[in-house]
Amino acid sequence: MKITKFMNAVMMTAAITFGGGAVQAQQSGGSLVFLVQPEPPTMAGYVSTSGPIGLLGPKIYDGLFDYDNDGKMIPVLAESVDMSEDGKTVTFNLRKGVTWHDGKPFTSADVQFTIMDVLKKVHPRGPNSFKEVSSIDTPDAHTVVLNLDNPAPYMLRALSAYESPMVPKHLLEGEDIKSAKLANNPVGTGPFKFTEWKKGQYIRLDKNETYWKEGRPYIDRIVGRFIPDASTRASAMEKGEVLYAAYNAVSNVEAVRLNKEKDNISITTDGYSMINPMALIEFNTKEGPFTDAVVRRAISTAIDRQFMLDTIFFGYGNPATSALSSNFAATGLHAEMPHYPANGDVAAANKMLDDAGYKKDSDGVRMTAMFDLIPYGEDWKRGGQYIQQVLGEIGIQVELRYEDVPTWLKRIYHNYDFEMNLNYFYQLADPVLGVHRHYGTNMIRKGTHFVNSSRYSNAGLDALLGAGMKEPNAESRSAIYLEIQNILARDMPVVNLFELEFLTVYNTKLKGAYGSAMGAYSSFGDAYLEE
Amino acid sequence: MQGIPIILAIVVMNFFLLNLAEGDAVDVLAGEAGSATPEYMEKMRAKFGLDQPLPVQLAVYLKNVVQLDLGYSFRHEMPVHELIFDRFWATLLLMTSTIILAVGFGILLGLFAAVNLNTWKDALISVFALITYATPLFWVGLMMIIVFSIKNDWFPTSGMENSAAFYEGFDRVKDIAHHLVLPTITLSLFYLALYTRMMRASMLEQYGQDYVVTARAKGLSERRITFVHVLRNALLPVVTMAGVQVGALIGGSVIVESVFAWPGLGMLAFESLFARDLNLLLGIFLLSSVLVVAVNLVVDVIYCFLDPRIEVN
Repeated sequence: MKITKFMNAVMMTAAITFGGGAVQAQQSGGSLVFLVQPEPPTMAGYVSTSGPIGLLGPKIYDGLFDYDNDGKMIPVLAESVDMSEDGKTVTFNLRKGVTWHDGKPFTSADVQFTIMDVLKKVHPRGPNSFKEVSSIDTPDAHTVVLNLDNPAPYMLRALSAYESPMVPKHLLEGEDIKSAKLANNPVGTGPFKFTEWKKGQYIRLDKNETYWKEGRPYIDRIVGRFIPDASTRASAMEKGEVLYAAYNAVSNVEAVRLNKEKDNISITTDGYSMINPMALIEFNTKEGPFTDAVVRRAISTAIDRQFMLDTIFFGYGNPATSALSSNFAATGLHAEMPHYPANGDVAAANKMLDDAGYKKDSDGVRMTAMFDLIPYGEDWKRGGQYIQQVLGEIGIQVELRYEDVPTWLKRIYHNYDFEMNLNYFYQLADPVLGVHRHYGTNMIRKGTHFVNSSRYSNAGLDALLGAGMKEPNAESRSAIYLEIQNILARDMPVVNLFELEFLTVYNTKLKGAYGSAMGAYSSFGDAYLEE
Repeated sequence: MQGIPIILAIVVMNFFLLNLAEGDAVDVLAGEAGSATPEYMEKMRAKFGLDQPLPVQLAVYLKNVVQLDLGYSFRHEMPVHELIFDRFWATLLLMTSTIILAVGFGILLGLFAAVNLNTWKDALISVFALITYATPLFWVGLMMIIVFSIKNDWFPTSGMENSAAFYEGFDRVKDIAHHLVLPTITLSLFYLALYTRMMRASMLEQYGQDYVVTARAKGLSERRITFVHVLRNALLPVVTMAGVQVGALIGGSVIVESVFAWPGLGMLAFESLFARDLNLLLGIFLLSSVLVVAVNLVVDVIYCFLDPRIEVN
């Protein structure tokens, strides 16, 4: 076995982390009250990747690794990882002396159970992340060996506490995992222990006095508060009743105002790079007016992405330049593609449609369509209104439709009863985890949400996606994804609009909560309050 | 006794009405998760009993209700009655304080306006009532927060208790009372206006009755006529209205609960509708209908005190 470059990254990061810890003088104690919006249904992060669960789960459950803002792996429950030369054997060396909140020791059996019986079976994304894992050996209590059918380099990007939380075997074994009591009474190895959930009010976590990391956590108590009204959330932030609000729990307009008016409130866009949200339009490629790729390319060409970002999202975000987020550039998986002008080109789009033979009638209309909007708030309505206007200029008359979440999900992902749909997708830490589901023929799954609703199917692309998944060599992988991006820029079953940047609003007395790429979905073990 | 068939009819109607909505709890859960495999969703539907035909689902539900079992919320992984009773006290607290404040002040203001008919005092009260009645609740709530919480640090912005301190014993009671002030005032203002106008009209109507002329002819003082004779009769319609509105208060407080993050039933109902958590929603509706029936019984008893001519059989 050979220590890969991942290992080097791990060791470097560890050195940096420990070095940093010794210099600063952190204060212990205090309560961190932060916004959780909306209230989560349960605390079962191993069954659901729902956002609000992500805000609380990683404080209670640890992952094998965390990731710093440069994407480097930080050891958490695993001290190191080795990958064999052929990429088919992955070995984790676990931290010793770790215990669950109920006092039982954490061992390799827990990891084996978590991956094989929980994540691979009931987690929404786990079956993809751990697809290639055929079996797991546990030679001793602190060594875990994953046997893979094919190399799966992307798997090492999905080991955070949010994406793959480690859960206690002794509390889940033999139970129906989805309805086990653990969902509302979480027991993890994390820096905070679950204490109380007052429905409609808050979830309270208290310091884990026996946390494996010496001297951590600094904070005595974390409280996630639920405030349904957006204006009240901003008021609570302004008054200092809550100290931290991520995922736009405080709207951009209020966040910018608070940042300007209050000395003790700041904003950041860090902490979302592993989530990688991308705003986009999905098209029905099987029926309706958008079956022709030329029309979809023309739409992509006409939209002024920068204008949308500036006027609707306060400039927080970057125009998309390909089917893949520019955040993948770090791993060589991003290239700029044609038909993605940042500022939009209505004339060129009109010419494309004229050349393709789509004639305007006497009212200047080439075609009409229904445009569905993601029902996640006002920003998306405004985005829809802007696109409606631009499409009018190129002779596509659209009517907007805004429904409630279950109705909308059913329409798009179950009935396919739509023509174009404004949406956003998490592209996650690797295209295999977040992007493949949008384009692969095997991801045309009636009734499954946030997959290939365009029903786009291309055997050539499928082969490339399959190859990209298994390729361990970075350069060859980069070449495969270049070809994938070319095909998607030509066929455009989905038009990417912009890479969203979510805002985190925080009170400046909260320190040390920003070192993880997981942002709000991290453990807050290093966070502390400065009075 | 008539209450029971009414409540059952409400349950059946609600059941079919709610099932008209597109999508189910599994769609929402899977949607929130970002992605889920079809096998996973099928398994969940089977587990929730959503794969059964509607009449079967209804029969199962009715059987459970008759046995006083409100079912299980699969979304929250908790029995419905636990979820509801957790929130019920918060709603009851807000509702009781609001009714006392609104009905109490409404009666006083209405009485005062009627006694001072067509003076500036009457006009002032009428204008006040009109403005508070016409102002949207959410706006009043937000203004309350801005003025009394942010500009003046008198009250907390939202919530039911201080979630950084976690007081216990008497301190906790004080803390909850402190949090209760703004939502109660906000919710009361709207109803206060209603009762004021109603009380004033009712008083004026009673003043015109023959018995008032008789009382005057007997030589009773105006004060005695107003407080002993007119007031008691004028209260009847106000009390009736208050009884009817208890039901509306549960639903109508959604806005106030949302603005002040008050953990009541209205908000729970609102959320469970969008989550298609039908068991929970049906449970809340059931409780509300029971509550309305119960309060109307109480109102009937109050009638007897106000008007000895009415008897309870």
